[in-house]
Amino acid sequence: MSKTITQDLSFLHLISGASLPVQLVMLLLLLASFISWWFIFRKLFTLRQEIKQTDEFESVFWRGSDLNALYQRAASARHAAGSMERIFEAGFREFTKYQSGIDIGPIMDSTRGAMRAVYQREMDRLESHLSFLATVGSVSPYVGLFGTVWGIMNAFRELSNVGQATIAHVAPGIAEALIATAMGLFAAIPAVIAYNRYASDTAQLATRYESFIEEVSNVLQRRVAKPRDMANFS
Amino acid sequence: MVRLPGNKNEPGKLRAALFALLVHAAFLALLVFGLNWKNEAPEAMSVDLWADLPQRPIKPVSPVAQVTSQPEPAKPQSRPQQKTQPQPQPVIKATPPPVRKPEIALKDKTEKPQPKEEVKKLEPVKKEVSKEEPAKKPVEKPASKEEVKKPELVKKEAPKTESIKKVEQKTEKKDDARQQAEAQKQDQQREQQMAAAKAAQARALGEIEKYKAMIQAKIRSRIIMPPDLPGNPAVEFMVTLLPGGDVLTVTLRKSSSYTAFDEAVERAIYLAKPLPLPPDPGLFNEFRNLNITVYYRE
Repeated sequence: MSKTITQDLSFLHLISGASLPVQLVMLLLLLASFISWWFIFRKLFTLRQEIKQTDEFESVFWRGSDLNALYQRAASARHAAGSMERIFEAGFREFTKYQSGIDIGPIMDSTRGAMRAVYQREMDRLESHLSFLATVGSVSPYVGLFGTVWGIMNAFRELSNVGQATIAHVAPGIAEALIATAMGLFAAIPAVIAYNRYASDTAQLATRYESFIEEVSNVLQRRVAKPRDMANFS
Repeated sequence: MVRLPGNKNEPGKLRAALFALLVHAAFLALLVFGLNWKNEAPEAMSVDLWADLPQRPIKPVSPVAQVTSQPEPAKPQSRPQQKTQPQPQPVIKATPPPVRKPEIALKDKTEKPQPKEEVKKLEPVKKEVSKEEPAKKPVEKPASKEEVKKPELVKKEAPKTESIKKVEQKTEKKDDARQQAEAQKQDQQREQQMAAAKAAQARALGEIEKYKAMIQAKIRSRIIMPPDLPGNPAVEFMVTLLPGGDVLTVTLRKSSSYTAFDEAVERAIYLAKPLPLPPDPGLFNEFRNLNITVYYRE
Protein backbone atom coordinates (compact mmCIF):
# COMPACT_ATOMS: atom_id res chain seq x y z
CA MET A 1 0.00 0.00 0.00
CA SER A 2 2.77 2.37 0.92
CA LYS A 3 4.33 1.72 -2.44
CA THR A 4 1.22 2.66 -4.37
CA ILE A 5 0.94 5.89 -2.40
CA THR A 6 4.37 7.06 -3.46
CA GLN A 7 3.64 6.07 -7.06
CA ASP A 8 0.37 7.91 -6.95
CA LEU A 9 2.07 10.99 -5.62
CA SER A 10 4.58 11.09 -8.40
CA PHE A 11 1.88 10.55 -11.00
CA LEU A 12 -0.46 13.13 -9.50
CA HIS A 13 2.45 15.48 -9.11
CA LEU A 14 3.10 15.22 -12.82
CA ILE A 15 -0.51 16.09 -13.63
CA SER A 16 -0.86 18.82 -11.03
CA GLY A 17 2.42 20.32 -12.21
CA ALA A 18 1.04 20.84 -15.72
CA SER A 19 -0.10 24.26 -16.80
CA LEU A 20 -3.77 25.20 -16.74
CA PRO A 21 -4.55 24.72 -20.47
CA VAL A 22 -2.94 21.28 -20.37
CA GLN A 23 -4.95 20.40 -17.30
CA LEU A 24 -8.14 21.58 -18.99
CA VAL A 25 -7.32 19.50 -22.03
CA MET A 26 -6.76 16.48 -19.81
CA LEU A 27 -10.06 17.04 -18.05
CA LEU A 28 -11.89 17.40 -21.34
CA LEU A 29 -10.31 14.25 -22.68
CA LEU A 30 -11.10 12.32 -19.54
CA LEU A 31 -14.71 13.41 -19.79
CA ALA A 32 -14.90 12.56 -23.48
CA SER A 33 -13.27 9.22 -22.85
CA PHE A 34 -15.65 8.39 -20.04
CA ILE A 35 -18.75 9.33 -22.01
CA SER A 36 -17.57 7.50 -25.10
CA TRP A 37 -16.90 4.37 -23.07
CA TRP A 38 -20.30 4.70 -21.53
CA PHE A 39 -21.89 4.86 -24.98
CA ILE A 40 -19.71 2.03 -26.18
CA PHE A 41 -21.04 -0.27 -23.50
CA ARG A 42 -24.61 0.96 -23.86
CA LYS A 43 -24.53 0.44 -27.60
CA LEU A 44 -22.93 -2.93 -27.12
CA PHE A 45 -25.77 -4.09 -24.91
CA THR A 46 -28.47 -2.55 -27.10
CA LEU A 47 -27.14 -3.91 -30.36
CA ARG A 48 -26.54 -7.35 -28.94
CA GLN A 49 -30.08 -7.45 -27.62
CA GLU A 50 -31.43 -6.09 -30.89
CA ILE A 51 -29.67 -8.72 -32.99
CA LYS A 52 -30.88 -11.47 -30.69
CA GLN A 53 -34.48 -10.27 -30.81
CA THR A 54 -34.39 -9.87 -34.57
CA ASP A 55 -33.04 -13.41 -35.00
CA GLU A 56 -35.76 -14.79 -32.75
CA PHE A 57 -38.58 -12.91 -34.42
CA GLU A 58 -37.41 -13.76 -37.90
CA SER A 59 -37.25 -17.44 -37.11
CA VAL A 60 -40.75 -17.33 -35.54
CA PHE A 61 -42.13 -15.35 -38.47
CA TRP A 62 -40.77 -17.58 -41.19
CA ARG A 63 -41.81 -20.72 -39.38
CA GLY A 64 -45.19 -19.82 -40.79
CA SER A 65 -47.00 -19.08 -37.60
CA ASP A 66 -50.31 -17.20 -37.59
CA LEU A 67 -49.87 -13.50 -38.34
CA ASN A 68 -52.75 -12.60 -36.07
CA ALA A 69 -51.20 -14.38 -33.10
CA LEU A 70 -47.90 -12.75 -33.87
CA TYR A 71 -49.55 -9.36 -33.92
CA GLN A 72 -51.29 -10.02 -30.61
CA ARG A 73 -48.04 -11.02 -29.01
CA ALA A 74 -46.18 -7.99 -30.35
CA ALA A 75 -48.92 -5.60 -29.24
CA SER A 76 -49.16 -7.02 -25.73
CA ALA A 77 -45.43 -7.20 -25.05
CA ARG A 78 -44.43 -3.97 -26.69
CA HIS A 79 -41.76 -3.21 -24.05
CA ALA A 80 -39.85 -6.38 -24.69
CA ALA A 81 -40.33 -6.25 -28.45
CA GLY A 82 -37.45 -5.82 -30.85
CA SER A 83 -37.36 -3.35 -33.71
CA MET A 84 -38.45 -5.91 -36.29
CA GLU A 85 -41.40 -6.96 -34.17
CA ARG A 86 -42.41 -3.35 -33.78
CA ILE A 87 -42.18 -2.76 -37.52
CA PHE A 88 -44.37 -5.75 -38.12
CA GLU A 89 -46.85 -4.63 -35.46
CA ALA A 90 -47.19 -1.15 -36.95
CA GLY A 91 -47.63 -2.52 -40.46
CA PHE A 92 -50.19 -5.11 -39.45
CA ARG A 93 -52.23 -2.66 -37.40
CA GLU A 94 -52.37 -0.31 -40.35
CA PHE A 95 -53.32 -3.21 -42.56
CA THR A 96 -56.19 -4.38 -40.34
CA LYS A 97 -57.62 -0.88 -40.04
CA TYR A 98 -58.79 -1.14 -43.63
CA GLN A 99 -61.93 -3.08 -44.15
CA SER A 100 -62.21 -5.39 -47.10
CA GLY A 101 -63.39 -4.10 -50.38
CA ILE A 102 -61.00 -1.22 -50.72
CA ASP A 103 -58.41 -1.11 -53.49
CA ILE A 104 -55.24 -3.00 -52.87
CA GLY A 105 -53.10 0.00 -53.84
CA PRO A 106 -53.88 2.42 -50.99
CA ILE A 107 -53.88 -0.38 -48.40
CA MET A 108 -50.39 -1.49 -49.28
CA ASP A 109 -49.16 2.07 -49.57
CA SER A 110 -50.27 3.05 -46.12
CA THR A 111 -49.13 -0.26 -44.61
CA ARG A 112 -45.71 0.17 -46.11
CA GLY A 113 -45.70 3.80 -45.01
CA ALA A 114 -46.46 2.84 -41.41
CA MET A 115 -43.71 0.26 -41.43
CA ARG A 116 -41.29 2.74 -42.98
CA ALA A 117 -42.03 5.27 -40.27
CA VAL A 118 -41.33 2.81 -37.46
CA TYR A 119 -38.26 1.60 -39.32
CA GLN A 120 -36.92 5.15 -39.51
CA ARG A 121 -37.50 5.69 -35.83
CA GLU A 122 -35.88 2.44 -34.88
CA MET A 123 -32.85 3.15 -37.03
CA ASP A 124 -32.61 6.56 -35.47
CA ARG A 125 -32.59 4.95 -32.04
CA LEU A 126 -29.97 2.42 -33.04
CA GLU A 127 -27.75 5.05 -34.60
CA SER A 128 -28.05 7.49 -31.71
CA HIS A 129 -24.73 8.28 -29.97
CA LEU A 130 -22.77 6.79 -32.85
CA SER A 131 -22.02 10.28 -34.07
CA PHE A 132 -20.60 11.10 -30.65
CA LEU A 133 -18.26 8.13 -30.89
CA ALA A 134 -17.20 9.28 -34.34
CA THR A 135 -16.51 12.78 -33.05
CA VAL A 136 -14.47 11.56 -30.10
CA GLY A 137 -12.58 9.18 -32.33
CA SER A 138 -11.60 11.85 -34.82
CA VAL A 139 -11.13 14.87 -32.59
CA SER A 140 -9.64 13.69 -29.30
CA PRO A 141 -6.18 12.89 -30.76
CA TYR A 142 -5.95 16.48 -31.93
CA VAL A 143 -7.11 17.79 -28.58
CA GLY A 144 -4.50 15.63 -26.86
CA LEU A 145 -1.89 16.82 -29.32
CA PHE A 146 -2.83 20.39 -28.57
CA GLY A 147 -2.26 19.75 -24.87
CA THR A 148 1.08 18.17 -25.60
CA VAL A 149 2.23 20.95 -27.87
CA TRP A 150 1.23 23.52 -25.30
CA GLY A 151 3.05 21.63 -22.53
CA ILE A 152 6.21 21.23 -24.59
CA MET A 153 6.10 24.88 -25.56
CA ASN A 154 6.04 25.77 -21.89
CA ALA A 155 8.83 23.33 -21.11
CA PHE A 156 11.08 24.91 -23.73
CA ARG A 157 10.22 28.42 -22.67
CA GLU A 158 11.25 27.57 -19.12
CA LEU A 159 14.37 26.00 -20.52
CA SER A 160 15.40 29.28 -22.08
CA ASN A 161 15.38 30.91 -18.64
CA VAL A 162 17.64 28.26 -17.17
CA GLY A 163 20.63 28.96 -19.40
CA GLN A 164 22.20 25.54 -19.21
CA ALA A 165 20.01 22.98 -20.90
CA THR A 166 19.97 19.51 -19.46
CA ILE A 167 17.56 16.68 -20.05
CA ALA A 168 16.53 16.98 -16.42
CA HIS A 169 15.10 20.41 -17.11
CA VAL A 170 12.95 19.40 -20.08
CA ALA A 171 12.02 15.86 -19.18
CA PRO A 172 9.30 16.51 -16.59
CA GLY A 173 7.60 19.07 -18.80
CA ILE A 174 7.58 16.76 -21.77
CA ALA A 175 6.43 13.79 -19.72
CA GLU A 176 3.62 15.91 -18.36
CA ALA A 177 2.65 17.07 -21.81
CA LEU A 178 2.73 13.59 -23.28
CA ILE A 179 0.13 12.44 -20.79
CA ALA A 180 -2.33 14.59 -22.73
CA THR A 181 -1.54 12.73 -25.97
CA ALA A 182 -1.81 9.41 -24.21
CA MET A 183 -5.24 10.35 -22.91
CA GLY A 184 -6.34 11.56 -26.31
CA LEU A 185 -5.31 8.29 -27.91
CA PHE A 186 -6.89 6.33 -25.10
CA ALA A 187 -10.16 8.10 -25.79
CA ALA A 188 -9.89 7.92 -29.57
CA ILE A 189 -8.83 4.35 -30.30
CA PRO A 190 -11.73 2.55 -28.64
CA ALA A 191 -14.17 5.14 -29.95
CA VAL A 192 -13.04 4.59 -33.55
CA ILE A 193 -13.08 0.83 -33.21
CA ALA A 194 -16.52 0.88 -31.59
CA TYR A 195 -17.87 3.31 -34.16
CA ASN A 196 -16.81 1.15 -37.09
CA ARG A 197 -18.10 -1.99 -35.45
CA TYR A 198 -21.46 -0.52 -34.49
CA ALA A 199 -21.90 1.27 -37.80
CA SER A 200 -21.53 -2.01 -39.66
CA ASP A 201 -23.83 -3.76 -37.20
CA THR A 202 -26.55 -1.14 -37.62
CA ALA A 203 -26.14 -1.21 -41.39
CA GLN A 204 -26.64 -4.96 -41.32
CA LEU A 205 -29.73 -4.58 -39.17
CA ALA A 206 -31.04 -1.86 -41.51
CA THR A 207 -30.82 -4.10 -44.55
CA ARG A 208 -32.54 -6.87 -42.65
CA TYR A 209 -35.38 -4.56 -41.64
CA GLU A 210 -35.78 -3.19 -45.13
CA SER A 211 -35.97 -6.57 -46.73
CA PHE A 212 -38.34 -7.64 -43.96
CA ILE A 213 -40.63 -4.71 -44.76
CA GLU A 214 -40.76 -5.77 -48.40
CA GLU A 215 -41.42 -9.34 -47.48
CA VAL A 216 -44.17 -8.50 -45.01
CA SER A 217 -45.89 -6.22 -47.51
CA ASN A 218 -45.74 -9.06 -50.06
CA VAL A 219 -47.27 -11.47 -47.59
CA LEU A 220 -50.03 -8.99 -46.73
CA GLN A 221 -50.67 -8.27 -50.40
CA ARG A 222 -51.23 -11.94 -50.98
CA ARG A 223 -53.81 -11.88 -48.21
CA VAL A 224 -55.72 -9.03 -49.84
CA ALA A 225 -55.73 -10.98 -53.05
CA LYS A 226 -57.79 -13.65 -51.28
CA PRO A 227 -60.80 -11.63 -50.07
CA ARG A 228 -62.46 -14.66 -48.47
CA ASP A 229 -59.59 -15.11 -46.10
CA MET A 230 -59.72 -11.48 -45.40
CA ALA A 231 -63.42 -11.63 -44.59
CA ASN A 232 -62.92 -14.44 -42.11
CA PHE A 233 -60.16 -12.54 -40.62
CA SER A 234 -61.95 -9.28 -39.94
CA MET B 1 -43.71 4.25 -28.86
CA VAL B 2 -40.35 5.75 -29.49
CA ARG B 3 -39.62 6.45 -25.86
CA LEU B 4 -40.53 3.03 -24.67
CA PRO B 5 -37.37 1.41 -25.98
CA GLY B 6 -35.39 4.02 -24.08
CA ASN B 7 -36.96 2.86 -20.85
CA LYS B 8 -36.20 -0.68 -21.76
CA ASN B 9 -32.46 0.07 -21.77
CA GLU B 10 -32.43 1.70 -18.38
CA PRO B 11 -30.58 -1.12 -16.55
CA GLY B 12 -28.09 -1.36 -19.40
CA LYS B 13 -27.19 2.30 -18.94
CA LEU B 14 -26.12 1.80 -15.35
CA ARG B 15 -24.18 -1.30 -16.20
CA ALA B 16 -22.49 0.56 -19.05
CA ALA B 17 -21.49 3.40 -16.73
CA LEU B 18 -20.01 0.88 -14.32
CA PHE B 19 -18.03 -0.78 -17.09
CA ALA B 20 -16.79 2.59 -18.31
CA LEU B 21 -15.59 3.42 -14.81
CA LEU B 22 -13.82 0.08 -14.63
CA VAL B 23 -12.03 0.69 -17.92
CA HIS B 24 -10.79 4.07 -16.72
CA ALA B 25 -9.65 2.68 -13.41
CA ALA B 26 -7.65 0.09 -15.31
CA PHE B 27 -6.13 2.78 -17.52
CA LEU B 28 -5.19 4.88 -14.52
CA ALA B 29 -3.60 1.88 -12.83
CA LEU B 30 -1.62 1.24 -16.01
CA LEU B 31 -0.36 4.81 -16.06
CA VAL B 32 0.54 4.75 -12.39
CA PHE B 33 2.37 1.45 -12.59
CA GLY B 34 4.07 2.42 -15.81
CA LEU B 35 5.45 5.52 -14.16
CA ASN B 36 6.57 3.67 -11.10
CA TRP B 37 8.80 1.36 -13.09
CA LYS B 38 10.76 4.32 -14.34
CA ASN B 39 11.21 5.66 -10.84
CA GLU B 40 12.76 2.46 -9.57
CA ALA B 41 15.18 1.80 -12.39
CA PRO B 42 17.83 4.42 -11.41
CA GLU B 43 17.90 3.14 -7.81
CA ALA B 44 18.79 -0.34 -8.94
CA MET B 45 21.59 1.08 -11.08
CA SER B 46 23.17 3.00 -8.25
CA VAL B 47 23.24 -0.13 -6.11
CA ASP B 48 25.17 -1.94 -8.81
CA LEU B 49 27.77 0.77 -8.97
CA TRP B 50 28.38 0.68 -5.26
CA ALA B 51 28.84 -3.05 -5.20
CA ASP B 52 31.65 -2.75 -7.76
CA LEU B 53 33.75 -0.44 -5.59
CA PRO B 54 36.95 -2.22 -4.65
CA GLN B 55 37.90 0.06 -1.77
CA ARG B 56 34.57 0.52 -0.05
CA PRO B 57 34.36 -3.02 1.34
CA ILE B 58 37.38 -2.34 3.58
CA LYS B 59 35.37 -0.89 6.36
CA PRO B 60 32.25 -3.02 6.11
CA VAL B 61 34.26 -6.23 5.92
CA SER B 62 36.35 -5.79 9.01
CA PRO B 63 33.39 -5.54 11.38
CA VAL B 64 32.10 -8.75 9.88
CA ALA B 65 35.42 -10.41 10.54
CA GLN B 66 35.36 -9.19 14.09
CA VAL B 67 31.92 -10.47 14.68
CA THR B 68 32.69 -13.90 13.36
CA SER B 69 35.96 -14.16 15.22
CA GLN B 70 34.35 -13.30 18.51
CA PRO B 71 32.66 -16.64 18.90
CA GLU B 72 36.11 -18.24 18.94
CA PRO B 73 37.31 -16.60 22.13
CA ALA B 74 33.94 -17.46 23.56
CA LYS B 75 34.40 -21.17 23.01
CA PRO B 76 37.09 -21.60 25.60
CA GLN B 77 34.49 -20.50 28.10
CA SER B 78 32.12 -23.19 27.07
CA ARG B 79 34.77 -25.89 27.06
CA PRO B 80 35.72 -25.52 30.70
CA GLN B 81 32.11 -26.13 31.50
CA GLN B 82 32.19 -29.30 29.56
CA LYS B 83 35.32 -30.32 31.36
CA THR B 84 33.73 -29.79 34.74
CA GLN B 85 31.04 -32.20 33.81
CA PRO B 86 33.35 -35.15 33.41
CA GLN B 87 35.01 -34.38 36.78
CA PRO B 88 31.99 -35.18 38.93
CA GLN B 89 31.66 -38.43 37.05
CA PRO B 90 34.28 -40.31 39.07
CA VAL B 91 32.24 -39.55 42.18
CA ILE B 92 29.19 -41.19 40.75
CA LYS B 93 31.16 -43.91 38.95
CA ALA B 94 27.96 -45.56 37.85
CA THR B 95 26.53 -45.87 34.33
CA PRO B 96 26.08 -42.14 33.56
CA PRO B 97 29.63 -41.53 32.26
CA PRO B 98 29.34 -43.74 29.19
CA VAL B 99 26.19 -41.89 28.33
CA ARG B 100 27.51 -38.37 28.82
CA LYS B 101 30.96 -38.66 27.34
CA PRO B 102 29.83 -39.65 23.90
CA GLU B 103 27.76 -36.53 23.96
CA ILE B 104 30.81 -34.41 24.66
CA ALA B 105 32.78 -36.15 22.00
CA LEU B 106 29.99 -35.53 19.59
CA LYS B 107 29.82 -31.90 20.55
CA ASP B 108 33.52 -31.50 19.92
CA LYS B 109 33.16 -33.03 16.53
CA THR B 110 30.28 -30.90 15.59
CA GLU B 111 31.79 -27.72 16.91
CA LYS B 112 35.20 -28.03 15.36
CA PRO B 113 34.20 -28.02 11.74
CA GLN B 114 32.40 -24.74 12.26
CA PRO B 115 35.41 -22.55 13.05
CA LYS B 116 37.18 -24.04 10.06
CA GLU B 117 34.36 -23.11 7.79
CA GLU B 118 34.23 -19.64 9.20
CA VAL B 119 37.90 -19.10 8.53
CA LYS B 120 37.50 -20.30 4.97
CA LYS B 121 34.53 -18.08 4.37
CA LEU B 122 36.36 -15.08 5.68
CA GLU B 123 39.39 -15.62 3.52
CA PRO B 124 38.08 -14.44 0.18
CA VAL B 125 36.81 -11.34 1.86
CA LYS B 126 40.01 -10.69 3.74
CA LYS B 127 42.03 -10.95 0.57
CA GLU B 128 40.56 -7.60 -0.30
CA VAL B 129 42.62 -6.10 2.45
CA SER B 130 41.96 -4.74 5.90
CA LYS B 131 44.11 -2.76 8.24
CA GLU B 132 42.75 -4.24 11.40
CA GLU B 133 43.50 -7.80 10.47
CA PRO B 134 47.08 -8.02 11.65
CA ALA B 135 45.75 -7.29 15.11
CA LYS B 136 43.17 -9.98 14.79
CA LYS B 137 45.33 -12.83 13.61
CA PRO B 138 47.33 -13.21 16.75
CA VAL B 139 44.02 -13.54 18.51
CA GLU B 140 42.74 -16.06 16.06
CA LYS B 141 45.79 -18.29 16.10
CA PRO B 142 45.88 -18.86 19.83
CA ALA B 143 42.20 -19.50 19.68
CA SER B 144 42.63 -22.25 17.15
CA LYS B 145 45.46 -23.82 19.14
CA GLU B 146 43.33 -23.84 22.21
CA GLU B 147 40.62 -25.50 20.28
CA VAL B 148 42.99 -28.17 19.22
CA LYS B 149 44.41 -28.74 22.66
CA LYS B 150 41.22 -28.81 24.60
CA PRO B 151 39.70 -31.73 22.80
CA GLU B 152 42.87 -33.60 23.66
CA LEU B 153 42.38 -32.87 27.33
CA VAL B 154 38.91 -34.23 27.11
CA LYS B 155 40.22 -37.27 25.38
CA LYS B 156 42.76 -37.97 28.07
CA GLU B 157 39.93 -38.26 30.50
CA ALA B 158 37.90 -40.31 28.19
CA PRO B 159 40.12 -43.46 28.14
CA LYS B 160 38.86 -44.23 31.64
CA THR B 161 35.79 -45.89 30.26
CA GLU B 162 35.77 -47.11 26.66
CA SER B 163 38.28 -48.12 24.08
CA ILE B 164 36.06 -47.27 21.17
CA LYS B 165 36.48 -43.61 21.86
CA LYS B 166 40.25 -43.93 21.58
CA VAL B 167 39.94 -44.82 17.98
CA GLU B 168 37.77 -41.82 17.36
CA GLN B 169 40.17 -39.60 19.23
CA LYS B 170 43.12 -40.75 17.19
CA THR B 171 41.41 -39.85 14.01
CA GLU B 172 40.45 -36.56 15.54
CA LYS B 173 44.03 -35.85 16.49
CA LYS B 174 45.16 -36.43 12.95
CA ASP B 175 42.47 -34.07 11.77
CA ASP B 176 43.59 -31.47 14.25
CA ALA B 177 47.17 -31.61 13.03
CA ARG B 178 46.01 -31.15 9.49
CA GLN B 179 43.86 -28.25 10.50
CA GLN B 180 46.75 -26.55 12.21
CA ALA B 181 48.97 -26.87 9.19
CA GLU B 182 46.27 -25.56 6.92
CA ALA B 183 45.51 -22.65 9.19
CA GLN B 184 49.17 -21.64 9.29
CA LYS B 185 49.46 -21.75 5.53
CA GLN B 186 46.32 -19.71 5.13
CA ASP B 187 47.57 -17.15 7.63
CA GLN B 188 50.81 -16.72 5.75
CA GLN B 189 49.01 -16.29 2.46
CA ARG B 190 46.70 -13.79 4.01
CA GLU B 191 49.50 -11.74 5.47
CA GLN B 192 51.27 -11.55 2.13
CA GLN B 193 48.12 -10.54 0.34
CA MET B 194 47.33 -7.97 2.93
CA ALA B 195 50.74 -6.39 2.79
CA ALA B 196 50.52 -6.11 -0.99
CA ALA B 197 47.01 -4.76 -0.89
CA LYS B 198 47.91 -2.22 1.76
CA ALA B 199 50.71 -0.86 -0.34
CA ALA B 200 48.42 -0.69 -3.37
CA GLN B 201 45.78 1.02 -1.33
CA ALA B 202 48.19 3.61 -0.03
CA ARG B 203 49.29 4.31 -3.56
CA ALA B 204 45.68 4.50 -4.73
CA LEU B 205 44.77 6.87 -1.93
CA GLY B 206 47.62 9.14 -2.86
CA GLU B 207 46.53 9.03 -6.47
CA ILE B 208 42.92 9.76 -5.59
CA GLU B 209 43.88 12.71 -3.43
CA LYS B 210 46.14 14.05 -6.13
CA TYR B 211 43.45 13.89 -8.81
CA LYS B 212 40.79 15.32 -6.54
CA ALA B 213 43.02 18.29 -5.91
CA MET B 214 43.61 18.59 -9.67
CA ILE B 215 39.87 18.57 -10.32
CA GLN B 216 39.33 21.24 -7.69
CA ALA B 217 42.07 23.37 -9.18
CA LYS B 218 40.75 23.00 -12.71
CA ILE B 219 37.24 23.99 -11.69
CA ARG B 220 38.58 26.90 -9.67
CA SER B 221 40.48 28.21 -12.61
CA ARG B 222 37.26 28.41 -14.68
CA ILE B 223 35.15 30.27 -12.17
CA ILE B 224 34.32 33.83 -13.04
CA MET B 225 33.76 35.06 -9.51
CA PRO B 226 30.90 37.47 -8.95
CA PRO B 227 32.37 40.59 -7.38
CA ASP B 228 31.96 41.81 -3.83
CA LEU B 229 30.32 39.03 -1.90
CA PRO B 230 30.49 39.47 1.85
CA GLY B 231 32.27 36.89 3.97
CA ASN B 232 33.50 33.57 2.59
CA PRO B 233 30.44 31.71 1.31
CA ALA B 234 30.87 28.07 0.32
CA VAL B 235 28.84 26.10 -2.18
CA GLU B 236 28.70 22.33 -2.37
CA PHE B 237 27.95 20.43 -5.55
CA MET B 238 27.48 16.77 -6.22
CA VAL B 239 29.04 15.98 -9.59
CA THR B 240 28.36 12.74 -11.40
CA LEU B 241 31.15 11.88 -13.81
CA LEU B 242 31.39 9.58 -16.77
CA PRO B 243 34.50 7.56 -17.46
CA GLY B 244 36.67 9.88 -19.50
CA GLY B 245 35.99 12.87 -17.30
CA ASP B 246 32.76 14.11 -18.85
CA VAL B 247 30.26 15.67 -16.48
CA LEU B 248 26.94 13.86 -16.45
CA THR B 249 24.99 15.81 -13.85
CA VAL B 250 25.68 18.60 -11.42
CA THR B 251 23.35 18.88 -8.47
CA LEU B 252 23.44 21.56 -5.87
CA ARG B 253 23.98 20.03 -2.43
CA LYS B 254 24.33 23.12 -0.30
CA SER B 255 23.74 26.56 -1.67
CA SER B 256 25.93 29.46 -0.67
CA SER B 257 22.73 31.55 -0.58
CA TYR B 258 24.21 33.68 -3.39
CA THR B 259 22.66 32.42 -6.61
CA ALA B 260 25.21 34.31 -8.68
CA PHE B 261 28.04 32.46 -6.98
CA ASP B 262 26.22 29.10 -7.19
CA GLU B 263 25.64 29.54 -10.89
CA ALA B 264 29.18 30.70 -11.52
CA VAL B 265 30.53 27.55 -9.91
CA GLU B 266 28.07 25.34 -11.74
CA ARG B 267 29.06 26.89 -15.06
CA ALA B 268 32.70 26.45 -14.16
CA ILE B 269 32.17 22.75 -13.50
CA TYR B 270 30.72 22.30 -16.95
CA LEU B 271 33.45 24.46 -18.48
CA ALA B 272 36.16 22.43 -16.77
CA LYS B 273 35.21 19.19 -18.47
CA PRO B 274 36.80 16.87 -19.25
CA LEU B 275 37.94 16.70 -15.66
CA PRO B 276 41.31 15.11 -15.00
CA LEU B 277 40.97 11.48 -13.95
CA PRO B 278 43.61 8.93 -12.96
CA PRO B 279 44.64 6.65 -15.83
CA ASP B 280 43.77 3.56 -13.78
CA PRO B 281 40.12 2.78 -14.61
CA GLY B 282 39.80 0.84 -11.36
CA LEU B 283 39.97 4.07 -9.45
CA PHE B 284 37.12 5.63 -11.38
CA ASN B 285 34.56 4.45 -8.85
CA GLU B 286 36.04 6.95 -6.42
CA PHE B 287 35.27 9.72 -8.86
CA ARG B 288 31.86 8.62 -10.05
CA ASN B 289 30.04 10.78 -7.52
CA LEU B 290 32.21 13.65 -6.45
CA ASN B 291 31.38 16.14 -3.76
CA ILE B 292 32.95 19.42 -4.68
CA THR B 293 32.99 22.29 -2.22
CA VAL B 294 34.13 25.67 -3.46
CA TYR B 295 34.84 28.62 -1.20
CA TYR B 296 34.49 32.17 -2.39
CA ARG B 297 37.89 33.13 -0.98
CA GLU B 298 40.64 30.63 -0.77
